[in-house]
Amino acid sequence: MDDSRQGGLVRAALRCYPARWRRRHGDEAAELAALLIRDGTPVVSIACSYLTGAAREWLTPRPGQRLSAVACVLLAAACVLGVSAGLLASAGPARAASAGRARGREPCPGVTGFIPATGRPPLIIPGAGHGRSCGP
Amino acid sequence: MAVGRRDGQAGADVLRRAGEASVLILISLADGPKHGYALIQDIKELAGLELGPGTLYGALDRLERLGLIESLPAEDRRHPYRITAPGAAALRGHLDSLERVSAAGRLRLQLGGI
Repeated sequence: MDDSRQGGLVRAALRCYPARWRRRHGDEAAELAALLIRDGTPVVSIACSYLTGAAREWLTPRPGQRLSAVACVLLAAACVLGVSAGLLASAGPARAASAGRARGREPCPGVTGFIPATGRPPLIIPGAGHGRSCGP
Repeated sequence: MAVGRRDGQAGADVLRRAGEASVLILISLADGPKHGYALIQDIKELAGLELGPGTLYGALDRLERLGLIESLPAEDRRHPYRITAPGAAALRGHLDSLERVSAAGRLRLQLGGI
């Protein structure tokens, strides 16, 4: 690999760091990479080390990092989890009901399905899938 | 989070969490300020371990945030780093703790006759 391509690889890796980091260490890091390449360190290992460092830099929360950004990420994660849990909860009884119908039987009353009087979401009783036939 | 000036034990605990690279950097800086390239060379000689530049800068930033090292004014484009008094106390505490563990290990090997 020629010098310009080697330099390009390291520069590309250094561009992955946050701007704050590049302002502080960017020039020195490029010079250090040049010295290490001169000493015979493979350029790919230098670039990989910088890429790993950049990932760590982005993932490590800083004291000055805006709290709202962290809160947004946490909120988004909670929403994704909530939607997934909701989908799972609604898919379970539907699957049980269709399986029961497929066997030509009614689903076990009170085991899964909507409670007619309240219209509330499914009630699942662990261990209630007793294997006995509930249908006719 | 900066380590208290007199709190060597807390510093040792911090270093335990900070990882091997941080300890090696502090050991390398114990005999005087060094910049990145000199640190990598010194650690290679001292411990036979070649720190990647990404690992080095990550550890330097962490140690600086903890108040265990400080950056000196840049020479050309290089920033030399210097160990601080809390850094020296933390390193001393950590090395003491390693010595105790090492001694206990050796004693147990001896008692076990291995």
